[in-house]
Amino acid sequence: MNFLFNYVIGLVASAGEALFFLLDAVGVVLRGKIRWSEVFKQVYIQGVQSIVIIALTSMATGAVLALQSYVMLSRFGAKEAVAQLVVLSLVRELSPVFSSFIFSGKVGARIAAELGTMKVNDQITATRAMGVDPMEFLVVPRILASLLVLPGLVVFSEILGVWGGYLIGVYNAGIPSSTYVHQTIYAVGFVDFFSGFAKTFFFALLIAWIACYQGFKTSGGSLGVGQYTTKAVALSYILVVVTNVVLTKIILALWG
Amino acid sequence: MIKVKKLFKTFGSQTVLHGVDFEIKPGEILVIVGESGSGKSVLLQHMIGLLRPDSGSVVIADQDISRLSEQKLLKVRKDMGYLFQGGALYDFMTVFENVAFPLREHTRMKRNAVMTKVQDILKLVGLDAAEGKFPSQLSGGMQKRAALARAVIMDSRILFCDEPTSGLDPIKSRSIMDLIHTIARKLKCTTVIASHDIVNSLRIADRIVLIRQGTIVAQGTPDQLRSSQDAYLQEFFN
Ligand SMILES: Nc1ncnc2c1ncn2[C@@H]1O[C@H](COP(=O)(O)OP(=O)(O)O)[C@@H](O)[C@H]1O
Ligand SMILES: [Mg+2]
Repeated sequence: MNFLFNYVIGLVASAGEALFFLLDAVGVVLRGKIRWSEVFKQVYIQGVQSIVIIALTSMATGAVLALQSYVMLSRFGAKEAVAQLVVLSLVRELSPVFSSFIFSGKVGARIAAELGTMKVNDQITATRAMGVDPMEFLVVPRILASLLVLPGLVVFSEILGVWGGYLIGVYNAGIPSSTYVHQTIYAVGFVDFFSGFAKTFFFALLIAWIACYQGFKTSGGSLGVGQYTTKAVALSYILVVVTNVVLTKIILALWG
Repeated sequence: MIKVKKLFKTFGSQTVLHGVDFEIKPGEILVIVGESGSGKSVLLQHMIGLLRPDSGSVVIADQDISRLSEQKLLKVRKDMGYLFQGGALYDFMTVFENVAFPLREHTRMKRNAVMTKVQDILKLVGLDAAEGKFPSQLSGGMQKRAALARAVIMDSRILFCDEPTSGLDPIKSRSIMDLIHTIARKLKCTTVIASHDIVNSLRIADRIVLIRQGTIVAQGTPDQLRSSQDAYLQEFFN
C-alpha cells in the first residue's frame, strides 16, 4: 500500500516536473527567442535521419494493405474498393501513427541520447555558466523542428504508401491504372486527410518534449544515457498509442 | 569582490555546505583546497549561481546573486568564466567554434574580429594548431586548455576553475596551473580555483582556504598555511 502510494506520488511529481519543463520551453517561444538557424539545422538532421526508413515502411505498408484488402474485398465482391481502402487507412490512421513510432525510435532516441550525453558531461550546465539559456539553445529548436518535420514525413509517408498500394493494385490485382488513380483521388475528403494530419502535431510535440526532458534529467554516466534514452522511447511510444485513441475519439466526434 | 556568507546546502539527508564563510578580494587568486567530496565543486557552483543555497548568500560586486532569477543570472554570468572539471566543451563544435561561442552569443563583434580574438587566445593556451579539431580528438590536457580559453574569451572579470589539474600528469598539471596564473594576471581577473593539488596550489595562490566537511577550517597565504602548527594542516600541506 505504502509502496503504491509512493509510486503514484512519484509519478505525479515527475509529470508535474515534465509539465514545467514544457512551460519553460513555451515561455522561450512566447518571448520570441527562437533560434531559426538552430531550428533549420535540426529540421535537416531529423528529416534525413528518418526519411529512408519511413519511405520503406510506408511503401511496404501500402503494398501489404493492398494485398490483404484485395483478398478480403473479393469475398464481398467489392474488389474495386481496394484503392479507397488503402488510401483511407493510410491517411486517416496508419501513416500518422506508424511514422510517429519510427520518429520516436529514431529522432526521439537521438535527442534523448544527445542531450543526455551533454548533461552527464556538464555541457548543459556549461551552457548556463556561459550565460546562455539551454532551453533556448538546445530544447526549443529540437521541439520546433519536430513540429515541422513529422507532419512533413507523414504526408511523404502517405504518398509512398499509396504508391505501394498502386503497384500491387495495378500490377498484381489487375486494376486499371487510371481507375486506381481516379478512385484514390476521389476517395480522400478534406476531413479524411486532416483527421489524420492534425494528430501528427500532437505526436511530434509529445515525442520531442519527452526526449528533451529525459535527456535533461539524465544522470549516471554512459549507463544513465542508455537508461534515459530507452525510457524516452518507451514513454513516447506508450503516450502516442494512448493519446491516439483519445484524439481519434475527439476528432471523430467533431468531424465524423 | 566576492563575499560568501554563511552558506548552507543540503542534498537529501547529506549536508554538503555547513556555514561556509569567506571573502575574495579583487584580482586575487584564491585556491579552495580540500579532500575529494568535501564540497569544493558544490561551493564553486554556488558562487556562479548554478546551485542555490538553502540559506546564506553569495555577494558579487554588491549584488546578492543567490536571490536572482535564472534569467538575471544568465546576464550576470556573461562576464564570468567557469572551467569545468571535464572541460564540458560542446562535442558537436570544433575547438574554434567552442571558444568563439560566447563571443557570438553575447557580442556584436565582426567575423574577423572574432577570428583574431579566438586565434590570439588559442595561441596563448598553446592550441593554435588544433583550432579545427573536435574535442574528442584532443587529449585531456588539451581539452582543459581549450575550455580555459573559452572561459576567459569574454575578458571575464571573474574566473572559476574546478579541478583544473585532475586527470593530468604532474608536468601537464604544473603547466595548466601556470597558464591559469598567467592568464589571471594578464586579464587582472579575480580567480577562484578548487583543487586537491596542493603542490601547484601553494605555488600559484595568493591565498588558500581549506574546506573540510563543508566548512572552512583554515585560510591564509601559502606561507602562513605551510608554517601552521595545526595537525590536520600539517598532514595536508606537507
Ligand atoms: N547534485 C547533487 N546531488 C546530490 N549530492 C551531491 C550533488 N552534488 C554534490 N553532491 C554531494 O556533495 C558532496 C560534495 O561534492 P563535491 O562538491 O563534488 O566534492 P569535491 O568537489 O570537493 O570533491 C559529495 O558527497 C557529493 O556526493
Ligand atoms: Mg569536485
